[in-house]
Amino acid sequence: MAFSRLELIFILGASALLLRALPQLFLVGKSFPETWDRLLRYLSYALLCGLISITLFMSGARFESDRALYRGVALAVTIAIAYKTKSAVTGMLVGMVLVLLLSWLG
Amino acid sequence: MSFSARFSQGAKAAIPIWIAFVPSSLAWGIAAQSHGLTLQEVFLMSAWVYSGPAQFAVLVPLAEGKSAATVLIAGLLMNLRFLPMSTALAPFFRGVKRLPLLIASHVVSASSFIVPYLQFQKEREASGGASVADGYGNLGFFVGIGATAFTVWVVGTTAGFTVALGFPPGFEEALKFILPGYFAGLLVAEMKGKTMPLICFVSIVTAIPGALLNPGWGWLATAALVAIIGWGLEKWLSRA
Repeated sequence: MAFSRLELIFILGASALLLRALPQLFLVGKSFPETWDRLLRYLSYALLCGLISITLFMSGARFESDRALYRGVALAVTIAIAYKTKSAVTGMLVGMVLVLLLSWLG
Repeated sequence: MSFSARFSQGAKAAIPIWIAFVPSSLAWGIAAQSHGLTLQEVFLMSAWVYSGPAQFAVLVPLAEGKSAATVLIAGLLMNLRFLPMSTALAPFFRGVKRLPLLIASHVVSASSFIVPYLQFQKEREASGGASVADGYGNLGFFVGIGATAFTVWVVGTTAGFTVALGFPPGFEEALKFILPGYFAGLLVAEMKGKTMPLICFVSIVTAIPGALLNPGWGWLATAALVAIIGWGLEKWLSRA
Protein backbone atom coordinates (compact mmCIF):
# COMPACT_ATOMS: atom_id res chain seq x y z
CA MET A 1 0.00 0.00 0.00
CA ALA A 2 1.50 3.32 -1.07
CA PHE A 3 1.27 6.38 1.16
CA SER A 4 1.97 9.98 0.25
CA ARG A 5 4.63 11.81 2.28
CA LEU A 6 1.96 13.81 4.11
CA GLU A 7 0.10 10.60 5.02
CA LEU A 8 3.31 9.06 6.33
CA ILE A 9 4.02 12.15 8.43
CA PHE A 10 0.49 11.98 9.80
CA ILE A 11 0.84 8.28 10.77
CA LEU A 12 4.24 9.00 12.30
CA GLY A 13 2.80 11.83 14.40
CA ALA A 14 -0.13 9.67 15.52
CA SER A 15 2.23 6.90 16.65
CA ALA A 16 4.40 9.45 18.50
CA LEU A 17 1.33 10.82 20.29
CA LEU A 18 0.28 7.30 21.22
CA LEU A 19 3.69 6.58 22.78
CA ARG A 20 3.60 9.89 24.65
CA ALA A 21 -0.01 9.64 25.81
CA LEU A 22 -0.43 5.96 26.75
CA PRO A 23 1.64 6.12 29.96
CA GLN A 24 -0.04 9.41 30.96
CA LEU A 25 -3.50 7.91 30.53
CA PHE A 26 -3.03 4.35 31.70
CA LEU A 27 0.24 3.93 33.61
CA VAL A 28 -0.14 6.42 36.46
CA GLY A 29 1.72 5.03 39.46
CA LYS A 30 3.63 2.41 37.44
CA SER A 31 7.38 2.51 36.88
CA PHE A 32 9.39 1.66 33.77
CA PRO A 33 12.18 -0.88 34.45
CA GLU A 34 15.61 0.81 34.42
CA THR A 35 17.14 -1.91 32.25
CA TRP A 36 14.54 -1.42 29.49
CA ASP A 37 15.02 2.33 29.72
CA ARG A 38 18.72 1.74 29.11
CA LEU A 39 18.02 -0.49 26.10
CA LEU A 40 15.77 2.15 24.54
CA ARG A 41 18.44 4.79 25.10
CA TYR A 42 21.08 2.60 23.44
CA LEU A 43 18.69 1.89 20.60
CA SER A 44 18.08 5.58 19.87
CA TYR A 45 21.83 6.39 20.10
CA ALA A 46 22.74 3.50 17.77
CA LEU A 47 20.07 4.55 15.29
CA LEU A 48 21.27 8.15 15.34
CA CYS A 49 24.85 7.03 14.71
CA GLY A 50 23.74 4.75 11.89
CA LEU A 51 21.85 7.69 10.41
CA ILE A 52 24.83 10.01 10.70
CA SER A 53 26.83 7.43 8.79
CA ILE A 54 24.36 6.81 5.94
CA THR A 55 23.46 10.52 5.62
CA LEU A 56 27.13 11.41 5.19
CA PHE A 57 28.48 8.48 3.22
CA MET A 58 25.60 7.03 1.20
CA SER A 59 23.59 8.35 -1.70
CA GLY A 60 20.63 6.00 -2.09
CA ALA A 61 22.14 2.52 -2.43
CA ARG A 62 25.61 3.84 -3.44
CA PHE A 63 28.60 4.48 -1.17
CA GLU A 64 29.98 7.91 -2.07
CA SER A 65 33.63 6.82 -2.02
CA ASP A 66 34.88 9.99 -3.76
CA ARG A 67 33.57 12.22 -0.95
CA ALA A 68 33.88 9.80 1.98
CA LEU A 69 37.40 10.83 2.98
CA TYR A 70 36.85 14.56 3.46
CA ARG A 71 33.39 14.06 4.98
CA GLY A 72 34.94 11.54 7.40
CA VAL A 73 37.67 14.03 8.31
CA ALA A 74 35.05 16.76 8.87
CA LEU A 75 33.00 14.39 11.06
CA ALA A 76 36.06 13.48 13.14
CA VAL A 77 36.92 17.19 13.60
CA THR A 78 33.28 17.94 14.54
CA ILE A 79 33.34 15.17 17.17
CA ALA A 80 36.70 16.31 18.58
CA ILE A 81 35.61 19.95 18.85
CA ALA A 82 32.19 19.12 20.31
CA TYR A 83 33.90 16.89 22.87
CA LYS A 84 36.48 19.51 23.77
CA THR A 85 34.10 22.49 23.93
CA LYS A 86 31.00 20.52 25.05
CA SER A 87 29.15 22.47 22.37
CA ALA A 88 27.39 20.66 19.52
CA VAL A 89 26.84 23.95 17.66
CA THR A 90 30.53 24.87 17.69
CA GLY A 91 31.48 21.40 16.46
CA MET A 92 28.86 21.51 13.71
CA LEU A 93 29.89 24.98 12.51
CA VAL A 94 33.57 24.08 12.30
CA GLY A 95 32.75 20.79 10.56
CA MET A 96 30.46 22.57 8.12
CA VAL A 97 33.10 25.11 7.13
CA LEU A 98 35.71 22.36 6.84
CA VAL A 99 33.56 20.11 4.65
CA LEU A 100 32.78 23.08 2.41
CA LEU A 101 36.45 24.05 2.04
CA LEU A 102 37.55 20.45 1.44
CA SER A 103 34.81 19.93 -1.17
CA TRP A 104 35.92 23.11 -3.01
CA LEU A 105 39.59 22.06 -2.85
CA GLY A 106 38.83 18.49 -3.98
CA MET B 1 -0.23 27.62 43.26
CA SER B 2 -2.50 28.29 40.23
CA PHE B 3 -2.06 26.69 36.82
CA SER B 4 -1.12 30.02 35.20
CA ALA B 5 1.47 30.86 37.87
CA ARG B 6 3.05 27.43 37.46
CA PHE B 7 2.88 27.85 33.66
CA SER B 8 4.93 31.07 33.96
CA GLN B 9 7.43 29.29 36.21
CA GLY B 10 7.76 26.55 33.61
CA ALA B 11 8.16 29.04 30.76
CA LYS B 12 11.01 30.74 32.64
CA ALA B 13 12.67 27.38 33.32
CA ALA B 14 12.42 26.58 29.59
CA ILE B 15 14.63 29.48 28.42
CA PRO B 16 17.78 27.28 28.17
CA ILE B 17 15.72 24.77 26.15
CA TRP B 18 14.60 27.53 23.75
CA ILE B 19 18.24 28.50 23.26
CA ALA B 20 19.17 24.86 22.57
CA PHE B 21 16.22 24.43 20.20
CA VAL B 22 17.13 27.40 17.98
CA PRO B 23 20.19 25.83 16.27
CA SER B 24 18.71 22.31 16.10
CA SER B 25 15.39 23.49 14.67
CA LEU B 26 17.14 25.74 12.14
CA ALA B 27 19.44 22.84 11.21
CA TRP B 28 16.52 20.50 10.67
CA GLY B 29 14.60 23.07 8.60
CA ILE B 30 17.66 23.70 6.40
CA ALA B 31 18.31 19.95 5.99
CA ALA B 32 14.65 19.26 5.18
CA GLN B 33 14.65 21.92 2.48
CA SER B 34 17.89 20.61 0.97
CA HIS B 35 16.40 17.08 0.90
CA GLY B 36 13.42 18.37 -1.07
CA LEU B 37 10.63 18.50 1.53
CA THR B 38 7.97 21.20 1.09
CA LEU B 39 7.23 23.92 3.65
CA GLN B 40 3.88 22.24 4.34
CA GLU B 41 5.63 18.92 5.10
CA VAL B 42 8.24 20.64 7.28
CA PHE B 43 5.55 22.42 9.28
CA LEU B 44 3.41 19.28 9.68
CA MET B 45 6.39 17.17 10.69
CA SER B 46 7.58 19.68 13.30
CA ALA B 47 4.14 20.41 14.74
CA TRP B 48 2.65 16.90 14.60
CA VAL B 49 5.62 14.53 15.02
CA TYR B 50 7.61 17.04 17.16
CA SER B 51 10.68 14.90 17.74
CA GLY B 52 14.11 16.06 16.53
CA PRO B 53 15.75 12.60 16.46
CA ALA B 54 12.73 10.96 14.76
CA GLN B 55 12.48 13.80 12.25
CA PHE B 56 16.16 13.30 11.48
CA ALA B 57 15.68 9.51 11.27
CA VAL B 58 12.90 9.68 8.69
CA LEU B 59 14.22 12.62 6.64
CA VAL B 60 16.46 10.63 4.29
CA PRO B 61 14.15 7.60 3.82
CA LEU B 62 11.19 9.96 3.31
CA ALA B 63 13.04 12.17 0.84
CA GLU B 64 14.42 9.19 -1.10
CA GLY B 65 10.98 7.56 -1.36
CA LYS B 66 11.92 4.47 0.67
CA SER B 67 9.10 2.10 1.68
CA ALA B 68 6.49 3.32 4.15
CA ALA B 69 7.48 0.54 6.55
CA THR B 70 11.12 1.76 6.63
CA VAL B 71 10.04 5.32 7.38
CA LEU B 72 7.52 4.32 10.05
CA ILE B 73 9.75 1.79 11.82
CA ALA B 74 12.71 4.22 11.87
CA GLY B 75 10.47 6.88 13.43
CA LEU B 76 8.82 4.45 15.83
CA LEU B 77 12.11 3.03 17.11
CA MET B 78 13.34 6.55 17.75
CA ASN B 79 10.13 7.57 19.51
CA LEU B 80 10.05 4.53 21.80
CA ARG B 81 12.07 6.70 24.21
CA PHE B 82 8.87 8.60 24.98
CA LEU B 83 7.44 5.58 26.82
CA PRO B 84 9.80 5.69 29.83
CA MET B 85 9.80 9.53 29.84
CA SER B 86 6.03 9.74 29.89
CA THR B 87 5.77 6.92 32.43
CA ALA B 88 8.17 8.75 34.77
CA LEU B 89 6.15 11.98 34.54
CA ALA B 90 2.72 10.35 34.97
CA PRO B 91 2.66 10.12 38.82
CA PHE B 92 3.17 13.89 39.09
CA PHE B 93 -0.06 14.61 37.19
CA ARG B 94 -2.28 12.61 39.52
CA GLY B 95 -5.89 13.84 39.56
CA VAL B 96 -5.74 15.57 36.16
CA LYS B 97 -8.53 14.64 33.74
CA ARG B 98 -7.69 12.56 30.68
CA LEU B 99 -8.36 15.20 27.99
CA PRO B 100 -5.87 17.78 29.33
CA LEU B 101 -3.37 14.94 29.86
CA LEU B 102 -3.82 13.77 26.28
CA ILE B 103 -3.30 17.27 24.89
CA ALA B 104 -0.32 18.02 27.14
CA SER B 105 1.38 14.71 26.34
CA HIS B 106 1.97 15.94 22.79
CA VAL B 107 4.78 18.19 24.04
CA VAL B 108 6.72 15.43 25.82
CA SER B 109 10.26 15.51 24.45
CA ALA B 110 13.71 14.70 25.85
CA SER B 111 14.25 18.35 26.86
CA SER B 112 10.74 19.02 28.13
CA PHE B 113 10.93 15.82 30.17
CA ILE B 114 14.16 16.25 32.08
CA VAL B 115 13.62 19.82 33.42
CA PRO B 116 10.14 19.27 34.96
CA TYR B 117 11.03 15.76 36.11
CA LEU B 118 14.00 17.03 38.14
CA GLN B 119 11.95 19.99 39.39
CA PHE B 120 9.07 17.74 40.54
CA GLN B 121 11.46 15.40 42.31
CA LYS B 122 13.09 18.35 44.08
CA GLU B 123 9.70 19.76 45.10
CA ARG B 124 8.52 16.35 46.30
CA GLU B 125 11.58 15.94 48.49
CA ALA B 126 11.21 19.49 49.86
CA SER B 127 7.51 19.06 50.65
CA GLY B 128 7.69 15.50 51.94
CA GLY B 129 5.60 14.12 49.08
CA ALA B 130 2.88 16.81 49.06
CA SER B 131 3.72 18.31 45.65
CA VAL B 132 2.84 15.06 43.89
CA ALA B 133 -0.79 15.69 44.85
CA ASP B 134 -0.81 19.04 42.99
CA GLY B 135 -1.40 17.44 39.60
CA TYR B 136 -2.80 20.53 37.85
CA GLY B 137 -0.03 22.75 39.19
CA ASN B 138 2.59 20.28 37.98
CA LEU B 139 0.84 20.06 34.62
CA GLY B 140 0.97 23.88 34.38
CA PHE B 141 4.73 23.82 34.98
CA PHE B 142 5.21 21.04 32.43
CA VAL B 143 3.07 22.76 29.78
CA GLY B 144 4.92 26.04 30.43
CA ILE B 145 8.10 24.27 29.38
CA GLY B 146 6.66 21.97 26.72
CA ALA B 147 4.36 24.39 24.89
CA THR B 148 6.91 27.21 24.68
CA ALA B 149 9.71 24.86 23.56
CA PHE B 150 7.30 23.38 21.01
CA THR B 151 6.59 26.86 19.61
CA VAL B 152 10.31 27.62 19.31
CA TRP B 153 10.84 24.28 17.52
CA VAL B 154 8.06 24.81 14.97
CA VAL B 155 9.00 28.45 14.26
CA GLY B 156 12.71 27.49 14.08
CA THR B 157 12.24 24.68 11.56
CA THR B 158 10.09 26.81 9.25
CA ALA B 159 12.62 29.64 9.58
CA GLY B 160 15.41 27.17 8.74
CA PHE B 161 13.49 26.08 5.66
CA THR B 162 13.19 29.72 4.53
CA VAL B 163 16.87 30.43 5.24
CA ALA B 164 17.92 27.40 3.15
CA LEU B 165 16.08 28.81 0.13
CA GLY B 166 18.53 31.73 0.16
CA PHE B 167 21.70 29.56 0.02
CA PRO B 168 23.59 30.02 -3.27
CA PRO B 169 24.59 26.96 -5.36
CA GLY B 170 27.88 25.32 -4.30
CA PHE B 171 26.90 25.11 -0.64
CA GLU B 172 25.17 21.71 -0.93
CA GLU B 173 28.00 19.94 0.90
CA ALA B 174 27.69 22.29 3.88
CA LEU B 175 23.89 21.90 3.93
CA LYS B 176 24.20 18.13 3.82
CA PHE B 177 26.62 18.21 6.75
CA ILE B 178 24.51 20.37 9.09
CA LEU B 179 22.19 17.74 10.55
CA PRO B 180 24.57 14.77 10.91
CA GLY B 181 27.25 17.15 12.20
CA TYR B 182 24.90 18.64 14.78
CA PHE B 183 23.66 15.25 16.00
CA ALA B 184 27.21 13.89 16.17
CA GLY B 185 28.15 16.91 18.31
CA LEU B 186 25.11 16.42 20.54
CA LEU B 187 25.86 12.74 21.08
CA VAL B 188 29.50 13.38 21.94
CA ALA B 189 28.66 16.23 24.31
CA GLU B 190 26.22 13.96 26.21
CA MET B 191 28.27 10.77 26.14
CA LYS B 192 28.83 8.94 29.42
CA GLY B 193 30.41 5.63 30.41
CA LYS B 194 32.08 3.13 28.10
CA THR B 195 29.17 1.27 26.54
CA MET B 196 27.60 4.28 24.84
CA PRO B 197 30.72 5.44 22.90
CA LEU B 198 31.39 1.85 21.85
CA ILE B 199 27.82 1.36 20.61
CA CYS B 200 28.03 4.68 18.72
CA PHE B 201 31.35 3.87 17.09
CA VAL B 202 30.29 0.36 16.00
CA SER B 203 26.95 1.70 14.70
CA ILE B 204 28.69 4.33 12.57
CA VAL B 205 31.06 1.74 11.09
CA THR B 206 28.52 -1.06 10.50
CA ALA B 207 25.78 1.17 9.04
CA ILE B 208 27.59 1.35 5.67
CA PRO B 209 27.92 -2.41 5.00
CA GLY B 210 24.39 -2.77 6.37
CA ALA B 211 23.07 -0.17 3.92
CA LEU B 212 25.04 -1.75 1.06
CA LEU B 213 23.54 -5.16 1.83
CA ASN B 214 20.04 -3.77 2.00
CA PRO B 215 19.51 -0.06 1.21
CA GLY B 216 16.08 0.01 2.90
CA TRP B 217 16.59 -1.93 6.12
CA GLY B 218 20.32 -2.62 6.46
CA TRP B 219 21.35 0.39 8.56
CA LEU B 220 18.25 0.07 10.75
CA ALA B 221 18.82 -3.62 11.41
CA THR B 222 22.55 -3.23 12.12
CA ALA B 223 21.94 -0.29 14.49
CA ALA B 224 19.25 -2.23 16.38
CA LEU B 225 21.50 -5.28 16.54
CA VAL B 226 24.49 -3.26 17.81
CA ALA B 227 22.34 -1.65 20.53
CA ILE B 228 20.90 -4.99 21.66
CA ILE B 229 24.32 -6.70 21.70
CA GLY B 230 25.87 -3.76 23.59
CA TRP B 231 23.05 -3.78 26.12
CA GLY B 232 23.23 -7.56 26.52
CA LEU B 233 27.00 -7.52 26.96
CA GLU B 234 26.78 -4.74 29.54
CA LYS B 235 24.20 -6.73 31.51
CA TRP B 236 26.27 -9.89 31.28
CA LEU B 237 29.49 -8.14 32.36
CA SER B 238 27.77 -6.42 35.29
CA ARG B 239 26.62 -9.83 36.56
CA ALA B 240 30.00 -11.51 36.09
